[in-house]
Amino acid sequence: MRELELYFGPQHLGMVGNFSITLTVEGDRIVKAVANPGYLHRGFEKLMELRSWIKNFPMVCRMNVVEPDSMEMIYSMGVEKLAGIEVPERGQFIRSIYLELARVGSHLFGLWAYANMLGFDTVSQWAMYHRDLILDLFEELTGGRVYHIYIWPGGVRRDFPDGFVDRIVSTLHSIGGCVPDYDNAFFHNPVFRDRAKGIGVVGREDALAMGGSGQVLRGTGLPFDVRKDDPYAAYDRVPWEVHTREDGDAYSRIWVVRNEMIESVHMIFKLLDAMPEGEVYNRIPNPFKWRIPEGDAYVRCESSRGELGLYIVSDGGDAPYRAHFRTPSYPHGLAVLEKALVGANIADVGNIMISLYVVAPEIDR
Amino acid sequence: MSATLAGRLEAVFKDIRTGADGDARLTVAATPESVLPVLVFLKDSGYGYLQLVSCVDWIERGEMEVVYVLSAYPGGPVETEFESIVLKTRVPRDTPSLDTAIDVFPVAEPYEREIHELFGVHFEGHPRLVPLFLEREYEIPPFRKDFDTREYVEDVFGAVPPVVEESQEP
Amino acid sequence: MDRNQLVKWLEAPAKMSHKYSLHAVYFCTGCGIIEVPPVITARWDAERFGVLPTATPRHANLFLITGYVSVKTLRAIIRTYEQMPEPKYSVGFGSCPINGGMYWDSYNTIKHLDRYLPIDGWIAGCMPRPEAIFVAVTHLWTLIEKDMADGYKRYRRDYAQYRANQERVLGELEWPPLFAAGEDV
Repeated sequence: MRELELYFGPQHLGMVGNFSITLTVEGDRIVKAVANPGYLHRGFEKLMELRSWIKNFPMVCRMNVVEPDSMEMIYSMGVEKLAGIEVPERGQFIRSIYLELARVGSHLFGLWAYANMLGFDTVSQWAMYHRDLILDLFEELTGGRVYHIYIWPGGVRRDFPDGFVDRIVSTLHSIGGCVPDYDNAFFHNPVFRDRAKGIGVVGREDALAMGGSGQVLRGTGLPFDVRKDDPYAAYDRVPWEVHTREDGDAYSRIWVVRNEMIESVHMIFKLLDAMPEGEVYNRIPNPFKWRIPEGDAYVRCESSRGELGLYIVSDGGDAPYRAHFRTPSYPHGLAVLEKALVGANIADVGNIMISLYVVAPEIDR
Repeated sequence: MSATLAGRLEAVFKDIRTGADGDARLTVAATPESVLPVLVFLKDSGYGYLQLVSCVDWIERGEMEVVYVLSAYPGGPVETEFESIVLKTRVPRDTPSLDTAIDVFPVAEPYEREIHELFGVHFEGHPRLVPLFLEREYEIPPFRKDFDTREYVEDVFGAVPPVVEESQEP
Repeated sequence: MDRNQLVKWLEAPAKMSHKYSLHAVYFCTGCGIIEVPPVITARWDAERFGVLPTATPRHANLFLITGYVSVKTLRAIIRTYEQMPEPKYSVGFGSCPINGGMYWDSYNTIKHLDRYLPIDGWIAGCMPRPEAIFVAVTHLWTLIEKDMADGYKRYRRDYAQYRANQERVLGELEWPPLFAAGEDV
């Protein structure tokens, strides 16, 4: 049979984000896949070296458009580790609640993309609507729907407004009350099972060899979650579980996403109950004249896509000497994707790509 | 085993130095030739998770520092002592070259491609050392400290004239 | 509906159909794509304005360039824009296409999109709100009504300058010039 080279290019209905894959197909079956990132490359890390430590905070969140909050968190963790800044207890709790809200929002965005790809338009409309309710909460708290710049070195920028806790609870109840609808329409739907079971299988050995984390690894049965193995913020103050599934196919990964969303909602309620009073912010030195001592650090956190890390180097100056973000979509979108697409049908490319939860701006930075 | 990881490393490899930060992190400074054997040793000691391969341009010292950050997946067969291992090596800035780590850690493939195109470090034995993000050649690899990005923007994008409409011409 | 409106529609039915069915080509060019799904789904509902996403540029007449444009993306954007049938309207979304925005000193992003493609309007913001998109759409209706949304005509007329700018930044272009020199508007 003849081989044909196709571009699953940036302008494609199945592509969420500006990313391209060159497929070599034989009939309908993919023989080779080569990922072409670079459409969103800004030279982020070079630009960060030209801006002072504090000026980088509004920049950093724009690296991952779907969940900017984990970027703010990881940069803050890196800066705090280098500068030796502690965060007060209430600030840690607020950070955890904020990050879990962002995780639910990001998973709902992923559900929009995935359900849309499979053709479940109703479920995707619901998911995007519920994500918008969470964005309303963010807007009340921080002033912006998408980019918040709320996490600050030393804590968070401001405390919750009056009555905000009640609004979080009522929003999450209204979203959580729709879980039976989601289940009946999508997760327990036999059409979803037929379209996703056995598709895009990434075995545990492959996932481990290719630096997998997040849903890619949890979908193969390994309970690896940075929030449990290397706790940060307030994740070790409340009990919660890591969800896994066997099989390693798209079905398992999306089920892990669903279970994580529900676990996040429960975690937010527990964190709200356990949250102490107090300061949310420890003062940092004058941010415009801030020099951070020499050193380097590797910090990591769990974004909604996997392990997000930052290797940050300071030479004692007022700007980062080198900041290298280890984003989860990098190994997933470049190494795992090329392996998972071999042997798949063209019709399943979008399905596999979105189930691997790749966000293109994170790869290119 | 009674010997610590640092002790065992220094016993096997004579030309490395280690420094521990409590039991959280071990820093290993190795020569370029011993990077691959150390990686194999660390992988066999249970640190099978290569999180990052990064590069830092120390222009003042005339060196590029390639950094490998390793960790261990939970539930592995070997008990691990540290949460994170940072392996650093320095190569001269004029002819930076290292052996590829793909045979030990397949995930290093895109990281090495990126370091090659953005810093100019050559990885011997890499099967696909073609550009990953960039679509053109730059005289100086863009992430090096002597590449002035603002000057480049002025030269290339600042020189593009606005489109003059016919009705605006005198 | 009032009689004046009806008379206006009957006099220029083509304009009415251009205005009220702006189909946007689905191309997630940059950051701004994060506010497009809320706009096209149930809560903000762009379909009541007639705006729908389409799969291919051949079916589209609105190109929403959402966010910053890297050099690789510029190649893809020009090809997409040139495949759209006329009349077509292009809107720059976000601060980055206007003047480079936050990435004004990046070596890989272009700074002024209107030097490479004709733009009918800009939406400022980082991110613009969904309401800003709807304001832009209604503003575009007014421009279409007054025959001021002539980006595609300007592209035809000034194609030599646009192509020269594109070649300055992208080097050799793989596709031949879209319009021969001296073509009529």
